[in-house]
Amino acid sequence: MLTVSHVTKVFPGGKGIYDVSFTVEQGEVFGFLGPNGAGKSTTIRHIMGFMKPEKGFVQIKGYDTWKDQGRFQKLIGYLPGEIAFMEGMTGKSFLDFMATLRGGVNEQRRAELVERLQFDDRTPIRKMSKGMKQKVGIVAALMHEPEVVILDEPTSGLDPLMQKVFIELVLEEKAKGTTFLMSSHSFPEIERTCDRAAIIKDGKIIAVKNIHELQAVQRKLFEVTFEHEADRDAFLASGLKIDSYKDKQVRVAVQGDYNRFAQETAKYRIRSIDVFSQNLEDIFMDYYDRGGRE
Amino acid sequence: MNMPLYAQMMKSHLQTMASYAFGSAFYILLMFWIYPSMATQSENLNALLESMPPGLSRAFGLENGFGSVDAFISGEYYGLLFVLILSIFSVMTSTQLMARLVDQGAMAYLLSAPTTRVKVALTQAIVLLTGLLIITAVTTLAGYGGYAWFIGDLNDFNSSNFLLLNVGALLLFFAVCGISFFISAVSNDEKRALGISGIVVFGLFSLNLVGKISEKLSWMQHISLFSLFNPAGIVKGTVNWGPTCGILLGAGLAGFAAGMMLFKKRSLLL
Ligand SMILES: Nc1ncnc2c1ncn2[C@@H]1O[C@H](COP(=O)(O)OP(=O)(O)OP(=O)(O)O)[C@@H](O)[C@H]1O
Ligand SMILES: [Mg+2]
Repeated sequence: MLTVSHVTKVFPGGKGIYDVSFTVEQGEVFGFLGPNGAGKSTTIRHIMGFMKPEKGFVQIKGYDTWKDQGRFQKLIGYLPGEIAFMEGMTGKSFLDFMATLRGGVNEQRRAELVERLQFDDRTPIRKMSKGMKQKVGIVAALMHEPEVVILDEPTSGLDPLMQKVFIELVLEEKAKGTTFLMSSHSFPEIERTCDRAAIIKDGKIIAVKNIHELQAVQRKLFEVTFEHEADRDAFLASGLKIDSYKDKQVRVAVQGDYNRFAQETAKYRIRSIDVFSQNLEDIFMDYYDRGGRE
Repeated sequence: MNMPLYAQMMKSHLQTMASYAFGSAFYILLMFWIYPSMATQSENLNALLESMPPGLSRAFGLENGFGSVDAFISGEYYGLLFVLILSIFSVMTSTQLMARLVDQGAMAYLLSAPTTRVKVALTQAIVLLTGLLIITAVTTLAGYGGYAWFIGDLNDFNSSNFLLLNVGALLLFFAVCGISFFISAVSNDEKRALGISGIVVFGLFSLNLVGKISEKLSWMQHISLFSLFNPAGIVKGTVNWGPTCGILLGAGLAGFAAGMMLFKKRSLLL
């Protein structure tokens, strides 16, 4: 459905993207993960045909997105990473305009999206908060029921409730067979929607993984608080990977093997367990480390 | 061309275009209004003009004196003010229509819709030219109105000269719009586009002015497009329209076409 093939673009100064390749299948939700400045937006600009690749190409349903301007866009919905609208428009007049540019949209679908994202489309865009603008952008990307939806950091600016609504929308569309590519910094967001994800760092794809594999490499820190300090010492000797400990508290690093952790902790009286997910940056570092060893 | 885009752009720019048009109409009415009081003193004024260095009166298109209303209007209005108004219009509007949309990122929305860059650029060019046409047309009508109102019977008005003044200005600014559109279409940065376009347009304008004032620097006006719009010459009937039209239309078309082609081919930072 969407093929990014060996796309390279080097900016003056050496930043850019290098030999980026991946494919997204029809009906798949594909995540594009990476820290700030990794090259996510640059890759997406190439996918949208805004930039000319120095090497390589992008194809959507057989159309080359640089060469076949005007033909592939009807299949696509797009949310830019930095939202900028034309001046002097309200949410409604902007969506009306986008609808006419697209040659008309299903009004019922549009109204439903506006309703679910809960915003007042009569507000002038200039006066909207970041999250409100983001919602307008999301409606513009989805209202014409495109086959492929490309979203650059779709949940930035959305509050947790709206992030949830957004995830529901994505899952519903996915059930209808829509293909998604979305970039993000946030692993939990990708985790809930995506089938596969690519990880990009310093302009290079360092892994394209099934999301369950990523979950397996994601380390979680469990902070276990024991009733008795003696139990703690016994626990420390159990052979689990101990991150740190203090008084009655122990921090255990668990990666994939939750059963063994559950069995060991069940032997003692526990006052509480807290869990800290490893952040994305650390998952990347794990990938680097593993890449170095393998 | 993309009709929904044209409609939207006209909607958002019509007010500014109307301000330029009404500003210009107001000035030309003012000129017609003060002409009668000038005409009664035209002998004194002509004497004054003769005492001025010839370069200066040429520069401001005053060499035809104040004897007739079209000579007066050609010198006082088309010689300077109208050219300034249209220069500002071309530089500002062409920058807003292309470079600003790229700089701010709104172009991303236009290009994510099923259209091509050439169509988007062509539509924006047509919006720019529509504005130019509106301003010139309103000014022309205001000129006729001004004559009827302040001078006398329109039947006595030598309107073919007046019309030719407007056609000449339209041609010159078709070329100037082409140049400023080209600069805007290849720029990523709005301020930069505005700066470069301003320097180029007002640079050409000044070359013409300086070339006319100073005998020594008269070569300067020959490299400026602005010398191809010569209001005094139009009124005297000494303008050779063939090459003038050819060069101005050619320059304008080249600017628009090159702007569209480069806009199609370049990487956009959206
Ligand atoms: N036009 C440009 N000229 C020079 N460098 C650029 C240009 N555009 C992007 N870059 C650089 O390329 C790198 C990748 O930028 P990009 O916007 O793709 O990152 P990103 O992954 O989207 O980051 P973020 O998460 O912050 O949105 C950055 O270091 C950026 O500074
Ligand atoms: Mg980005």
